[in-house]
Amino acid sequence: MLGDSRKAQEVFNTMLREAAVHAAQGELPKEPFWLFREARWRCLEASKTDLQPEPLEIEEHDITSRAASQVKQLEPVQLAIWIAAAPEPQRTALALFYLDEFNYLEILDIAELKLSTLSRCLSQGRRQLQAWLDAKHTGVPEA
Amino acid sequence: MRGLHLLRRRRALLNCAPISQDHLADRSMRAAVAREDGSDEFVNQQNFDRAVAELIRLVPIPPESAEWFLEKQAVRRPKWTWRRIVLNPAVLAVSIALVVIAGVFALQVVGRLNDFPGSATARKLLVLAGSARSVTLDPVTAEAGTLSDLFFMKHGLEHYDVPDEFTEFRTIGCRVFDDDESQRIAQIWVAEKRMQFFLFPAERDSKTGAVLAFPGWRYVHQEGWVGAVSEHNGVCFMAALKGREKDLEPYLSKAKE
Repeated sequence: MLGDSRKAQEVFNTMLREAAVHAAQGELPKEPFWLFREARWRCLEASKTDLQPEPLEIEEHDITSRAASQVKQLEPVQLAIWIAAAPEPQRTALALFYLDEFNYLEILDIAELKLSTLSRCLSQGRRQLQAWLDAKHTGVPEA
Repeated sequence: MRGLHLLRRRRALLNCAPISQDHLADRSMRAAVAREDGSDEFVNQQNFDRAVAELIRLVPIPPESAEWFLEKQAVRRPKWTWRRIVLNPAVLAVSIALVVIAGVFALQVVGRLNDFPGSATARKLLVLAGSARSVTLDPVTAEAGTLSDLFFMKHGLEHYDVPDEFTEFRTIGCRVFDDDESQRIAQIWVAEKRMQFFLFPAERDSKTGAVLAFPGWRYVHQEGWVGAVSEHNGVCFMAALKGREKDLEPYLSKAKE
């Protein structure tokens, strides 16, 4: 979400403290995803002062059969930074989806999105990532 | 219009199709994935998603955060309790269906237990009693017991006798007709509680032709009517009225007294 491990660590620590305080006071919210929703908002807060992505027309390509092997050639940190640089709510959608911990209904709940929005974010995200991968592997300068 | 909406929704669901099978959240997602499973486009998407998810797992996490997640699931899924299983709509629907089937089966078994030779004819006659009008009968004002002679002399019906319990009832009318099996049926309408009497041939053994006799009175029910049937000399007598067994019981207990 943040593309910055130091900030991520700070958000994580803050969330732990908050959960501990709630637990100590016996006021832990009953809804199952409050911690994740809260963490998301704190991430958004933490990245407010960062450079925001400009609203650009980003190239999109269809997903090809060689896409999986192209992904495997990436460095994990490169991918994390690519996702962190995506505009909201696409960034949240991609981060939650590729964590592979939640089903789509849970993602809709945590990110407070509609199905159509989540679908568009993921679909565009894939196609944009594919375009980026194609550009990297053909040596074309990145957009 | 609705078709287009469904198509869009299916497309939207496929775009959110889970990477792991464990996250197939609901029926609509399962249906969308099952329908598209195996198509090139979807296979490419799934392979792509798996590769991205695998790479995401390799993103380094600071050690002080990572130790919180060792061997732990980020989300604790609700356990399947008996209550959840019982309240599952599919389980509930199957259970209700089984209960209904068992109920129908039990009713049939109970119905069979009460069967006796001639009960099928008796039930048909109860249906007839429900739709009969007194104007369709020949008006006869007499004691029911005296009609045996009429049936014998006018129609040649032997042993079409009204049992002692009902001989003193005043009649309104009577008639003799053939049913759909060409059996001679005598119908008597009496003033008492608009009761109807039926006399019809007792059932016989199909091989030997012997009368299938049964002792005492047997009850039959059909469409809100109740009939008390007895057999004597190869002829069944049925007293029928609209109501329940307890409405007929007082008349039958007279004989015991």
